[in-house]
Amino acid sequence: MSLALGTLGLTAVVLSVFVYRQSGTPGLRAAGKDALNTFKALAIRLPCALLAASFLVHFVPVDAVSGVLGRDTGMRGIAIAAAAGGFLPGGPMVTFPIAVVLQQSGAGWPQLVALISGWSIFALNRLLTYEAPIMGWRFAILRNLSCLLLPVLAGFGAEFVLVFIEAE
Amino acid sequence: MKFDGTDFIFIGFAICLGALCYATTGAVALREALVQTMSLLLAILPQLAGGLLIGGLIKQLISKDKITALLGANSGMRGLFIATTAGSLTPGGPFMSFPIVFALWTAGAEAGALVAYVTAWALLGFVKLVVWELPLMGFEFAWIRFLVSLPLPIVAGVLARRLARMRAFQMKDHPGS
Repeated sequence: MSLALGTLGLTAVVLSVFVYRQSGTPGLRAAGKDALNTFKALAIRLPCALLAASFLVHFVPVDAVSGVLGRDTGMRGIAIAAAAGGFLPGGPMVTFPIAVVLQQSGAGWPQLVALISGWSIFALNRLLTYEAPIMGWRFAILRNLSCLLLPVLAGFGAEFVLVFIEAE
Repeated sequence: MKFDGTDFIFIGFAICLGALCYATTGAVALREALVQTMSLLLAILPQLAGGLLIGGLIKQLISKDKITALLGANSGMRGLFIATTAGSLTPGGPFMSFPIVFALWTAGAEAGALVAYVTAWALLGFVKLVVWELPLMGFEFAWIRFLVSLPLPIVAGVLARRLARMRAFQMKDHPGS
């Protein structure tokens, strides 16, 4: 985890230098204020979302999840996860706690990669509330069609990387 | 700290699932879930704070105008690469990215670049990665998913270019023309 924190810290320092050179102290202050505002907005929702997910783990049938989305389910699990991801409602605050629950219930990483990719790419409620109204249906269909196989490709890619890592 | 409707939905959700958890598995499981959540929160807090700070800094550096100017009428493979980079650096939710896509469209960007931009924002969004995925899913998972997703916006962009040549998908001239 310290590697993650180190990367984040370093990124923040580098970006701070850029912001300072572009707009000085007011820029840095605005960035801090923006971060604080987002934090305030999350302060109640995020603990509740995580708590809800944590409750969920206790009565989700773990065997059923690992049967459908486990590492051994291969191509079928990846395809199911990719499709299911597209129907996950809401933003990252809902999706990632669900992904944590599924991970704890025995879902495989390639399947989770497919799920998160499916949600990122298709997100049905985003399509209906933002993409189609702003860009029109023609663009929305063109984009979703172009992206149709990407979540499955991402799941396959993850499977490949994992096999490679495990072989080391 | 202010409450709004969304907060109440999440609070209600937690309470309902907590009650269900208590009803099906009893008080021990309830306590276990509370302890787990507390320790998870404590573990992700430093990374979440770092991620939010990075998000705030990126918003200072990147504006709608800058992205639009960069991507305006760029085409070819270079356009797809620039669109992918710009998409992955765009912070915020769909209320941020789709107005940018619309602006790019009116600025003359072609379908492939627009699709690559949206796909990169969705799959490789840097702020989403550091705020959500890194703390909750762990460094290794986030890294693997990011790595395998890296070429995908280009794939989608190339495909979109092909599709856009078909009559059914020919985008009508952008609204600005």
